[in-house]
Amino acid sequence: MSRSYDRALTVFSPDGHLFQVEYALEAVRKGTCAVGVRGKDVVVLGVEKKSVLQLQDPRTVRKVAMLDDHVCLAFAGLTADGRVLIDKARIECQSHRLTVEDPVTVEYITRHIAGIQQRYTQSGGVRPFGISTLIVGFDPHDTKPHLYMTEPSGIYSAWKANAIGRSSKTVREFLEKNHKDDLSREESIKLAVKSLLEVVQTGAKNIEISVMESYGKITNLDLTQIEAIVSEIEKEKEAEAERKRSRLAATAAGQASMTSRATEATSGQ
Amino acid sequence: METSFAITGKGYVIVASDTTAARSIVKMKTDEDKIKVVSPHLLMSYSGEPGDTLQFAEYVERNLRLFHIRNNYSLRPSAAASWIRRSLAQSLRSRKPYSVNLMLGGFDVTADTPHLYWIDYLGTMTEVPFGAHGYGSYFALSLLDRYHDPEATLEEGLVTLKRCIDEVAKRLVVSPGKYKIKVVDKDGAREIEM
Amino acid sequence: MSRRYDSRTTIFSPEGRLYQIEYAMEAISHAGTVLGVLAKDGVVLAAEKKVTGKLLDLSGAKEGGYGGSGEKIFLLNSNVIGGVAGLTADANSLINYARSAAQQHLLQYNEDIPVELLAQRLCDMKQGYTQYGGLRPFGVSLLYAGYDQHYQFQLYHSDPSGNYSGWKATCIGANNGTAQSLLKQEYKDDIEVKAAISLVLKTMSKTMDSTTLGSEKLEFAVITLDPETKLPKAKIYKPDEIDELLQAEGLAKKEDDNAMKS
Repeated sequence: MSRSYDRALTVFSPDGHLFQVEYALEAVRKGTCAVGVRGKDVVVLGVEKKSVLQLQDPRTVRKVAMLDDHVCLAFAGLTADGRVLIDKARIECQSHRLTVEDPVTVEYITRHIAGIQQRYTQSGGVRPFGISTLIVGFDPHDTKPHLYMTEPSGIYSAWKANAIGRSSKTVREFLEKNHKDDLSREESIKLAVKSLLEVVQTGAKNIEISVMESYGKITNLDLTQIEAIVSEIEKEKEAEAERKRSRLAATAAGQASMTSRATEATSGQ
Repeated sequence: METSFAITGKGYVIVASDTTAARSIVKMKTDEDKIKVVSPHLLMSYSGEPGDTLQFAEYVERNLRLFHIRNNYSLRPSAAASWIRRSLAQSLRSRKPYSVNLMLGGFDVTADTPHLYWIDYLGTMTEVPFGAHGYGSYFALSLLDRYHDPEATLEEGLVTLKRCIDEVAKRLVVSPGKYKIKVVDKDGAREIEM
Repeated sequence: MSRRYDSRTTIFSPEGRLYQIEYAMEAISHAGTVLGVLAKDGVVLAAEKKVTGKLLDLSGAKEGGYGGSGEKIFLLNSNVIGGVAGLTADANSLINYARSAAQQHLLQYNEDIPVELLAQRLCDMKQGYTQYGGLRPFGVSLLYAGYDQHYQFQLYHSDPSGNYSGWKATCIGANNGTAQSLLKQEYKDDIEVKAAISLVLKTMSKTMDSTTLGSEKLEFAVITLDPETKLPKAKIYKPDEIDELLQAEGLAKKEDDNAMKS
């Protein structure tokens, strides 16, 4: 009976599973999709954003948060959990500056966040955080962009590009196929948008893009910029489809002429 | 000896502080910055027990920054001043209190007004049109009583400040040599060369 | 079988859902409606009371912002009013928490708490009740109507999960779907308080179960700026003021109804 192993807060089941942690991952898979793409000297965060309702204030619907001047986080999963975890991370960022006078490195804050998430899978009477996070940024005095991911279990890892949330598997596969090393700023943004379009059917208005170019320099693209990129991608797709169609037509025509010649040949006999 | 002045004017606050770091009767250096930009529109000059001042200033800076990053806006000068005063008052009643005197100049972007607060190590706080800490205050305050004008432009304000600095240099036995001057207005905080 | 994940404390179900939160939200969808509309120069809140009765004593309504009968609409701080939908006992403890959080802010910063910060403080607590062991979530949604210098007039909504968001006009509790779509049709971006009051009362009259509005079923509050001091001024209407207002809006009970009763 697995019953008693997934009910009490997190304990091992006989076959070595932590059910609550696995179920928390399910909560993440229900969340909106977020992607991160690391380029040569830029790192891009893209999130799928739910349509803001007509009477809602868009300022209060946020999926991407700054942790400090140089670190940015996007999450997928339970929004309230995300807010609380972000708050803990922000405190650590300032506390770190106060104790050692240096800003946090991206890896340090990632490890800290993952550490908090891990504690909530082990200590008594709590459920795990129902969120995964993508953390991007630049270390102080360094030009190399970083991208990390954390999960409800407390695992963290560095990535060239990755996705979390709804349909993240599809998006990740897309990224695996299309990511190249040393992408430029424009290429990175385009790849992020393109991969999000794999799951976001409604186009630009449901996409949010943040670009970090160097230590402390972050820009959020506005709707028109994203629309431009989306239409460019669509045009390319169309052109690609057109080329495919014409190639198909050409081969079809070739085949047709071959067969007709063949029939001619047979009828000639 | 340590001296700091601050003056409000039309849409700005000027804060000036000497730059000596001394231990007992020995000058250690003469280019110490004792005015911290604690948030985009807030300047804090500090003097007192050397270790305490920096420790406390950094503590304030980090907490104001945390507030900013959490809420996407900064505390207004009056709110920040109240919080800082409270921190000092709490510290005073602890086992090892901070021994720090402060001058807090800020620009309230929500109301478009400059504010100046005078705070001492006992947790006293008053909002003032101009203020001073240290021995220099004995000379500067009477001068400012005479010459301060809340409607003065930045240039006029700096002239008044110069009067104070010159007077202290002339009359105070242990007058400091150099000053650092910072100003805060609607565009934020910046340093000014005299 | 699914009972395995919906009893005891808040834990994840195999599909990654938190049933306790969903059930708490379900409880709220049967509670008395609370409706808020944000205007250019103020915010209007109205709520449907469920506890009614001929012998209910409403004479305890006080002057100075506390005018309501104390079931649905409360003064949280001098610049924020709150409307609650859900379990009244849970709501009372949240109101208490909100009021002391606001006072703590006043003590620390010597200023009225910004509206969003107050909503955040409550949401942090609500979220905690969904994550820590042995607790159940609060069965309460709130609307916060208030003013601060950073974002002027604001209207927020928070739910049992600890989520919150800002709104121009919104509604919680029973029939909130109907009310929402009515608001969507009628709301104009540059609406003023006077028009907002009519909009709120009209929408309430259409969504409430009873056919006629009256002070025994309704709580009502407005927050505006005092024209002299320029400080936020909350006004929670007293029962006779609500009747007066309804009369003026032409939504009150018909005279002959009263005649029939007497």
